[in-house]
Amino acid sequence: MSLINKKKEFEIISDVITSKSNIIDIGCSDGSLIEYLKLNNNVVARGMEIDQSKIRICLSKGISVVEGDADTDLFDYPDNLFDYSILTYTLQATKNPKVVLEQLVRIAGKAIVSFPNFGYWSIAMSLFFNREMPVNSTLDYSWYETPNLHFCTINDFINLCEGLNIKIEKKADLRKLVFKEFKGKSLYDSYFSESGLFLISKK
Amino acid sequence: MEKNKIVELSSKERPLLLDCGKSLGPVKIAYTTYGNLNEQKSNAILICHALTGDQYVASQHPITKKEGWWSNVVGPDKSIDTNKFFVICPNIIGGCMGSTGPKEIDPLTQKEFGLNFPVITISDMVKAQKLLIDYLSIEKLFCVTGGSMGGMLVLEWLSKFPEYVHSAIPIATSVNHSAQNIALNELARQSIMADPNWQSGNYYKTDNQPTKGLSVARMAAHISYLSKESLHQKFGRNLQDKNELDYSFKADFQIESYLRHQGISFVDRFDANSYLYITRAMDYFDITANSNGSLIEAFKDTKSKVLCISFTSDWLYPTSENKKIVKTLNALGIDVSFLEIETENGHDSFLLDEPEFFDALNGFISSTWREL
Repeated sequence: MSLINKKKEFEIISDVITSKSNIIDIGCSDGSLIEYLKLNNNVVARGMEIDQSKIRICLSKGISVVEGDADTDLFDYPDNLFDYSILTYTLQATKNPKVVLEQLVRIAGKAIVSFPNFGYWSIAMSLFFNREMPVNSTLDYSWYETPNLHFCTINDFINLCEGLNIKIEKKADLRKLVFKEFKGKSLYDSYFSESGLFLISKK
Repeated sequence: MEKNKIVELSSKERPLLLDCGKSLGPVKIAYTTYGNLNEQKSNAILICHALTGDQYVASQHPITKKEGWWSNVVGPDKSIDTNKFFVICPNIIGGCMGSTGPKEIDPLTQKEFGLNFPVITISDMVKAQKLLIDYLSIEKLFCVTGGSMGGMLVLEWLSKFPEYVHSAIPIATSVNHSAQNIALNELARQSIMADPNWQSGNYYKTDNQPTKGLSVARMAAHISYLSKESLHQKFGRNLQDKNELDYSFKADFQIESYLRHQGISFVDRFDANSYLYITRAMDYFDITANSNGSLIEAFKDTKSKVLCISFTSDWLYPTSENKKIVKTLNALGIDVSFLEIETENGHDSFLLDEPEFFDALNGFISSTWREL
């Protein structure tokens, strides 16, 4: 899954993470976020990844990584083992996003979650005017081959967190590239944010 | 570059105390080394062999003349690079390639031990290996690795001597034997003991060796090392050197001929009593034996960096068993990685040409070495 401004996203995440903290990156791919956070935040990190070739890349970089699936393998970790759990652009591809979110805030004090915003204006336009499933830089698969199972909008995500008793602590402002205190739903974000990036914790 | 040695490591006065309550001394360990130990003694890799393996990990076997059982992993510029690392591979006690075992001479009686050899455990094997590591004045092994029973020894090292292990790679293994594992070993033991030539283990100086029993034991075990899929692909229902069924009990099918060959060639290089003792040790193995069944407790002092590897088609030590180790180490916050290699080659995969497996080993070992 491609990220808009991958490096920018790394920077925002790095800014919100306390140095020397213990993190797990779920769906860590080739470990580039972990490398970035090791370098800039001095974190103790490990990853979980489903793709074997990516796992082998992580191993060769000295990154500890477990082959696993967010849907089934987060149960293996005890409560609060990590300071942060990170799930970037994966929530929409999980079978049960609700359970995954609950696990993220169980195994770590705080969780960082990002996902493509299905309410983004151009996506809405594509559906509304073209009557075609949108394909763009964040949603770069055609409908028949997408691994994404559960699309949501930023507002859907906020509603789900409320329902799960999960506290949204911060929300990233993707224009200014900083995390800001979460002050409830914003009409602007729901239309004009291509993705949602949140810092959440158990209430 | 390789060196084969035999050392005597404990004595009659200071014997090795065994789990069964008996003691063993002197203990001989036959081992092979490759590469050179650096000045800091920080580059040693201990390789633990499997049930029927031996110390000839990457060199020609003295009896079969075949290349070492892990020649595709251990050697110059291979995943375990003997240009960089000092590789040690000892024959386990209870084995039959020079280390103290049932076919060696009992100093008390000046005759072969036979069934007078004490029943040993995986933990005893590791205690003997520890004597060797002390003898070599190595205070920390850079890595301990092995597959199958070798993996059990790796787990035992992590549990019993955690401070001696910088990193570890247990492969295709288990924290204890399942009923199915024990059943298969019992089948093998019974076939050896049912051979009249076994003579209650006192066959060494006689003209009759229990080759039939040992051969059948090997055949049964060999089936468990392969997957249904790989057997099907290799042999299917193909006939051996014939076009029609023979209507006899000769080896009609290729798989029969193959298994018979596996059995017959095995007896030249392996001792039947060793097979009994080692399979018993595997059945007795339970890493939680001294921790009231708690895996967490068994690994609580482990600080090593660990990579666990399993193979998709391995039904003898399946991924689910290997994941128990991963789950435990995760819960303890230990630096653990895990990879399940996709292959149809069954349990034997760790001995075969599996490029992705080699790549994972290489990546883990090289990066861990860089960070040392």
